[in-house]
Amino acid sequence: MAEESILTDDFLRELINVGEVDILIGVPTYNDAETVGQVLQALRAGLLQYFPRLRAVIINADGGSKDATQDLVRAASISDLQHGSDLRALRTLHCISTQYPGGASKGTALHTILAAADLLRATGCAIISADSANFQPEWVESLLRPVCHDNFDLVTPVYRRHKFDGLLVRNLLYPMTRAIYSRRIREPYPAEFAFSGRLAGYFLGQDIWSQDVGRAGAEFYLTISTIAGGFRLAQSFLGTRPHSERAAPDLVPAMRMTAGVLFWSMEQNFSAWSASMGSQPVPTIGPEHEISLEPLRVSRKRLHQMFVRGVAELAPVLKTILSAQTLSELEQAAAVPEEEFCYSNESWVRTVYEFAAAYHKTVISRDHIVQALVPLYRGRAHTFLVENRDASADEVESNIETLCLTFERMKPNLLGMWDGGK
Amino acid sequence: MWDTIVGELIQATRDTWHNVLHFLPRLMGMLVVVLLGWLLAYILKSILRSILRLARFDRLSEHWGATELLNKAALPSSSELLSRFVFWIAWLGFILVGVRALEIVGLQEPIAKFFGFLPRLFAALFVFFFGLLAASFFSRAALLAAVNADLPSPRLVSSVIRTLIIIFALSVGFEELGLGEHTVLVAFAIVFGALMLGLALAFGLGGRDLARQYLERRFVRGHKEEKEDELSPL
Amino acid sequence: MVLALPQDGLWYKDAVIYQVHVRAFHDSNGDGIGDFLGLAQKLDYVQDLGVTALWLMPFFPSPLRDDGYDISDYQSVHPHYGTLDEFKLFLNAAHERGIRVIIEMVLNHTSDQHPWFQESRSSPSNPRRGWYVWSDTDTRYRGARIIFIDTELSNWAWDPVSKAYYWHRFFSHQPDLNYDNPAVREEMWNMMKFWLDMGIDGFRLDAVPYLVERDGTNCENLPETHAVIKDYRARIDQQFPGRMLLAEANQWPADLRPYFGDGDEFQMAFHFPLMPRMFMGLKLEDRKPITEILQQTPAIPENCQWCLFLRNHDELTLEMVTDMERDYMYDEYAHDKSMRLNLGIRRRLAPLLDNDRRRIELMNGMLMSLPGTPIIYYGDEIGMGDNVKLGDRNGVRTPMQWNGGWNGGFSVADPESLYSPLLLNPVYGFQAVNVQSQKRFEHSLFSWTKHLINVRKSMPVFGRGSIEFLYPANHRVLAYVRQSGKDSILVVNNLSSSAQAVELDLRRYKGNILIEMFGRNIFPRVGDLPYLLTMGPYQFYWFRLRKI
Repeated sequence: MAEESILTDDFLRELINVGEVDILIGVPTYNDAETVGQVLQALRAGLLQYFPRLRAVIINADGGSKDATQDLVRAASISDLQHGSDLRALRTLHCISTQYPGGASKGTALHTILAAADLLRATGCAIISADSANFQPEWVESLLRPVCHDNFDLVTPVYRRHKFDGLLVRNLLYPMTRAIYSRRIREPYPAEFAFSGRLAGYFLGQDIWSQDVGRAGAEFYLTISTIAGGFRLAQSFLGTRPHSERAAPDLVPAMRMTAGVLFWSMEQNFSAWSASMGSQPVPTIGPEHEISLEPLRVSRKRLHQMFVRGVAELAPVLKTILSAQTLSELEQAAAVPEEEFCYSNESWVRTVYEFAAAYHKTVISRDHIVQALVPLYRGRAHTFLVENRDASADEVESNIETLCLTFERMKPNLLGMWDGGK
Repeated sequence: MWDTIVGELIQATRDTWHNVLHFLPRLMGMLVVVLLGWLLAYILKSILRSILRLARFDRLSEHWGATELLNKAALPSSSELLSRFVFWIAWLGFILVGVRALEIVGLQEPIAKFFGFLPRLFAALFVFFFGLLAASFFSRAALLAAVNADLPSPRLVSSVIRTLIIIFALSVGFEELGLGEHTVLVAFAIVFGALMLGLALAFGLGGRDLARQYLERRFVRGHKEEKEDELSPL
Repeated sequence: MVLALPQDGLWYKDAVIYQVHVRAFHDSNGDGIGDFLGLAQKLDYVQDLGVTALWLMPFFPSPLRDDGYDISDYQSVHPHYGTLDEFKLFLNAAHERGIRVIIEMVLNHTSDQHPWFQESRSSPSNPRRGWYVWSDTDTRYRGARIIFIDTELSNWAWDPVSKAYYWHRFFSHQPDLNYDNPAVREEMWNMMKFWLDMGIDGFRLDAVPYLVERDGTNCENLPETHAVIKDYRARIDQQFPGRMLLAEANQWPADLRPYFGDGDEFQMAFHFPLMPRMFMGLKLEDRKPITEILQQTPAIPENCQWCLFLRNHDELTLEMVTDMERDYMYDEYAHDKSMRLNLGIRRRLAPLLDNDRRRIELMNGMLMSLPGTPIIYYGDEIGMGDNVKLGDRNGVRTPMQWNGGWNGGFSVADPESLYSPLLLNPVYGFQAVNVQSQKRFEHSLFSWTKHLINVRKSMPVFGRGSIEFLYPANHRVLAYVRQSGKDSILVVNNLSSSAQAVELDLRRYKGNILIEMFGRNIFPRVGDLPYLLTMGPYQFYWFRLRKI
């Protein structure tokens, strides 16, 4: 019998009613009633102000919210049926909502939105996170204009972030993606971004949706696919990074979605990354980075503790992954008291690259390899916090740049390990 | 009297000769069967090896961690192992059929019993093997989960889980083989039950504080001892 | 050396062919007759239309008593149309635009003006005597029917010069070559090789069923005839791989099948019996004639293809229909007896369909979606009319109408010196129907046809796929699914002049979303219930079936 489609009959009916559009904005949700209303207001205002003549639709892909999320979305429609709105709008703006099967999953939400974009033949699309409480109407323009007018295929955001925000991105995702795929993308795993209909059709056709990466980490793989597929990439400065009211994701799932996807992508796109060296800048609209420096209290001690415990308890696992030299370096580092602890750039890069090579060779179950990286990352985060404790914005940026260059410089080592021995 | 003896001897020799004559063709038959069997088993092994190679069986077994296990035991790759195993079983089967052809009474029944026993042997071997695999996989998974969740004594948890799974596999395997079924099963039940009781007591009495801390950390967010800002890694 | 196109073995399966008379297309030197330089000048138009191959009507030297099918020299170009060099220029220009060229090769007969016949008739001892079929009596081969029944009374003609009868299946001035003679077979191969060396992409072999005759048979489709063709095909495959042979054989499908051999004779053949049934189905408002003939059509080898057409330079032939059907067609389409000729109707597409734009679109839609390679007759893409007052079949061979100016843009000569008068009436005349005015508008028949060809070319499944008929209860609707690999296309045609509702059983395609191919809008997904479609008069849909 036919497989389950992610497009329900009702949703398909609504898509037929919407017809062809120029702009499609997708909003994945799960119990976001608190914030989705504001986001929709901002989206609507942005569309009406910057793209008043274009045919647009807002599509909500919901994971099964128990609150009023879906109703709030539908209420944001602009049509001749809904009176009492004081918005001046030339056209009907459909805001439709569907609940995709299989339970809340960002990957399935993205899949649903891509399918809708492909069927409605949208030229410019965007994904906006439903819990971006401070989303501005201008951001609609910043993200979509490069796609609609300048023919870019993917536009990732650039934010003003606190220097200690997004440690995983700063210490692993950004530098390693930059070194492997030779593009300086500040936010390779964006929560909101814009893309062309061309890229949507291409990514929809990738055979990832029934695998793990299709459920978590698909946005990141989209960025990688864009580079590997030769599409045009740009970055656009938005503003202060929206602060989520929710708790941060656990590190283990976060690591799966980032390092796990990155390692997996290296297998799939070997020819795309193995030949390039160094990195090129990506066309950026607005400033490339801004760092805010408010005082912040962070628990460094715990990070160090978990690093030490991790190295000790996971020794049998780490032995199968890391080289003897790297492992002994880590053990020595773990033996040192916290005030003197330092996980150097070279050591960290070597660790990560050895993990990548071990993943490629599947020395043990791949998911276990990714999990084993977590305590080591904690150690690295500790060092970053210490190094930049009193640093200015420029110093932070320069430290990150140094780390990036280390990743780039040591890339040949990774290639050596890839097919050869440890 | 001398004639009788000679006569008997000649008769005995003749009888023996007759028996040998009768036996020879059966022996030839057996040899033919054994030879044929070797040939067929070899062909079977080659075919199986090609099929497994085409189906990328090695890649699959790598995924399950079987290769890792085999490497540790200095055994050849999974597809090779499987093919050789099939070869030996097939050839053994032919040998036994050949032996049957010898029509040596007294061997028939044990042979039949052996054939009857084979499926159970396979089942037991499978259970042992997969038990080992599972033990290694789950013990490692537990270790990683415990370390990342900052639970106490991750190594202990890991070893306990490994032991439990191995014991469980052994008991199921032995039951399959029909060796001391009840004993092993009961032993397993006792050990498992004791462990569970011990854990319950520990959690209930001795580990109260620990349990509380753990539960707090798991389910109650935002109420930390030290007030710190939540940082998102992403 | 002329630029040759890459030999991609099965190019003819994906082709869209444009049939054109050099004489009728465009005149470059002002003598009132179209020529090759003129045709070369109009290649941009041909390319713009979107067709991928040209089929040229005969242009070899000829006394022109049968519009060029009576050939007097196989290795040259009739001076009316230019020189051999000009032909090569045109061929090169066509290939540069990615357009292949198919020419006519008349194997069966020559003109009585051909030097070979002149020699053959001169004396019974002439070396070329055996090149034609001579007899002292006219009683042999009685089983053979007469093809041009309106003008010929016998297949034998008396030659006063050599005092003997000679065999001719067509006009009496077109004596049949004798294919039992190996010298004839070799020489005809040399003729073909001459053009193949030049770079042409294929031959339409005219009148193939009649090559060989035997007493006691009807002298059509004989095994010896097939042997001749197999031999030629083998030589072509060896020396000119990828070049194509197209059979003109007006036969029932079962009799046509042998012409494909085992993939070792013709690559393509016209599906003659289908064409009149499409017109019949339209008038009857019933799909029965169309589905029946296609059901009876046998399977052909993988590398072979049917050629489909609506109209061509000949009459709309009604040979392959029953008497009852022929009478019906005459009554409906050619009530005026002057339109009838040789068991057929000599009219163009637009006049046959009463210039009804919807019907023209529907017929073209079926042409482009039924299994086979479609052929468009020059001028039908702008809806040209015909002139039944011109004799024989010349009414459908009038000059191409390019614009509303002097001679419709066909030639700068005086109107009186044109090879054929132009159409002048207010409905089909060149001022009303011409390329220039139609190119300006997206809604013109030309623009629509161009779009249709474009959509067809976008999916190879039209040229290569299988066909499965759906039989909805509403008999006025012809529906079928074309399938190739993972691609499936549902085609639904309303043959009726009034709006229709039809329910289709699409259970096999459950879960597929229908995407209408011209507007690319989504239609509801196929579920368990019959799929309801409502259709306007003569409307058709092409749906791509897609699963997401």
